[in-house]
Amino acid sequence: MGSIVVAVAGQPNSGKSTLFNMLTGIRQFVANYPGVTVEKRVGHLEYGGHGFTLVDLPGTYSLTSYSLEERIARDFLLHEKPDLILNVVDASNLERNLVFTFQLMEMGLPITIALNMMDVAESKGMKIDVERLAQELGIRVIPTVAKKGIGRLEICQALLRTYELQDGISSFRPAYSSELSKSLKTIEQMLKDDARALVYNPHWLAVRLLAGDEEVRQLFTGQAGLTSDSL
Amino acid sequence: MIILGDTVRLDSLKPGDKCVLKDIKATGAIAQRFMDLGLIPGTMITVVRNAPLVDPVELHLRGNHVSIRHSEAQRLEVIPWEV
Repeated sequence: MGSIVVAVAGQPNSGKSTLFNMLTGIRQFVANYPGVTVEKRVGHLEYGGHGFTLVDLPGTYSLTSYSLEERIARDFLLHEKPDLILNVVDASNLERNLVFTFQLMEMGLPITIALNMMDVAESKGMKIDVERLAQELGIRVIPTVAKKGIGRLEICQALLRTYELQDGISSFRPAYSSELSKSLKTIEQMLKDDARALVYNPHWLAVRLLAGDEEVRQLFTGQAGLTSDSL
Repeated sequence: MIILGDTVRLDSLKPGDKCVLKDIKATGAIAQRFMDLGLIPGTMITVVRNAPLVDPVELHLRGNHVSIRHSEAQRLEVIPWEV
């Protein structure tokens, strides 16, 4: 039986590399400034009779095509088709980090959230209703303090559960204005019978096309069927 | 009562000043990064640090501290306000 591929994704300074090390046991230097993880790092984990291959993606604020790191992370998620996504979220910067989570959700990927740095959030006086968050998002949310090794077993259990049940795909969508929603629906409708909408999530394609994403536009240039101009 | 001022560039405000973000005068990667950092029109901002010629300009918004360059702060149109 093959190994289950888990992409570890999140924003810079969310403790992504620390959590990766906690899960895989790989010793490695973790610096305290953003942008330290540029290359792809891989580690292994055994749990519940399954082998997991963890891939540590570069930390980025978004999943657009503006920077090399973002393109690396996005291409892996879109083209390597990992079985699961472990989204590391800095609990003490929840609002900003969730913007990244919403982008993962719009790509239609199966997500488990590691709500990391719970200790920092608490010391900031934040009280996070983890259960409510999981309920609203419709995915598993596991509180962790990776620096202290807290939450390791719970993450393993959540990953295995998500894999076995084949869930974790959230139907939660950020609320766009009614004008934007209308335009998105129109584009999605146009994409309905397009081959590219079978490979990529149609909603995500529509969002990225409206945002003028160069790489996504190129998917629709010089090919038969819909072109970016007709869209 | 809240008194709103005329639209100015964020770069012209002093430490302690509060304002509401009105518009981002940028496109592409810079605009995306502004939004990633929570700088979305309507966001309330407090200037923490802003000294002439010295980068960065430090802002407080949405419970976070965000540091940007003067050249970037000039691209943010804000409405100053006082309570």
